[in-house]
Amino acid sequence: MNNGLDMLGMGLLTQNLVLLQGLGMYALTRHTKTVDGAAKAGGAMLGAMATGGLAAWLLGTLAIPESLVFLTYLAAACLSAFFWQRLLGMPSSLSGGLLDSALVGLLLLLAREQVTGFAAVAYAVSAGLGYWLALIIVASLRQRLELAPIPKAFRGVPLILITAGLLGMALLGFRL
Amino acid sequence: MKTIVDGLFRQNPVFKLALGLVPAVAVTTTAYNGLVLGVTTTIVLVIAVAVSAMLAERVPQTARPAINLAVLALLTMCAYQALLRLDPQVVANLGIFLPLIVVNGIALQTLDKKVELRQAVTDAFGSGLGFAAALVVVGIIRELLAFGTIFGATVVESRLPIFALAATVPGGMVILGLLLALYNAVTGQGGELSE
Repeated sequence: MNNGLDMLGMGLLTQNLVLLQGLGMYALTRHTKTVDGAAKAGGAMLGAMATGGLAAWLLGTLAIPESLVFLTYLAAACLSAFFWQRLLGMPSSLSGGLLDSALVGLLLLLAREQVTGFAAVAYAVSAGLGYWLALIIVASLRQRLELAPIPKAFRGVPLILITAGLLGMALLGFRL
Repeated sequence: MKTIVDGLFRQNPVFKLALGLVPAVAVTTTAYNGLVLGVTTTIVLVIAVAVSAMLAERVPQTARPAINLAVLALLTMCAYQALLRLDPQVVANLGIFLPLIVVNGIALQTLDKKVELRQAVTDAFGSGLGFAAALVVVGIIRELLAFGTIFGATVVESRLPIFALAATVPGGMVILGLLLALYNAVTGQGGELSE
């Protein structure tokens, strides 16, 4: 991760959390019915990821024992998720909220790769933008496919997964 | 017994409820990875649900999500340490997806429900078994297509893989999507999920 543009490219394209790392599948299958819904869900997660990146910046300045890294980063993810859930008036239940694999996975990736300082915030924001973009693209494609004569067995989650998979394969080209 | 059979097929968390899709597309590049993650998740889920059901009467409703998450996190950490001692290579292969058991959709939805201990444990065991079975099925198909092996044993002798992209996350999404469509066709189900 050399500069801001590299990081943006990684978050949006070459390391897209949803399409290339398989994180955030719950939101991909539940919040992409409409472009508006996808934009709202993606925006809320972008906020939570930015806050999580800030928390990772702070945690990076502390000498945390290796055995406690998971718990501290998980706690940071929880605080970010519940802060944004409360701010946006979302229910405080565990399932269906912002505390999903994308947010926790992002913070665990930051911890594993030892990304600290401002780079942690920049990477978190670019990953959030990548998440937001993936949801919007899949939602737009779903809306376009609404009137298409698709067999019943493929409607819903199978079609979302195949669409996201093909998009992800296209993004794999940017890794070369 | 009926709940366990339902969890395996009719109410399979991956194929019917579309839960736990992250590990299903990300770590099932081999059947062994799928089996290890599936069994670990089942053990963590059953113990977490049992502890949560026992604490339900003593903990105020507003504190339950935090307590449930703490229980899940501690159990996940224990499972991580145990696996690290048993098979460090598989822990490396599973990467961040092993600690991500803590936000597994199946675990979070099961813990959000309020049911009595015996029912909760049976439901969790059925869901866990169904989840593990789904991961193994996806893992077998992906491993065969990407490497020509099943559980490490060579099945197809070929210099080139049948479908190398099966080892990537996007390839996993396409394969899982096709499997879900097959499941829908067999069971006569299908259609949109509610948000």
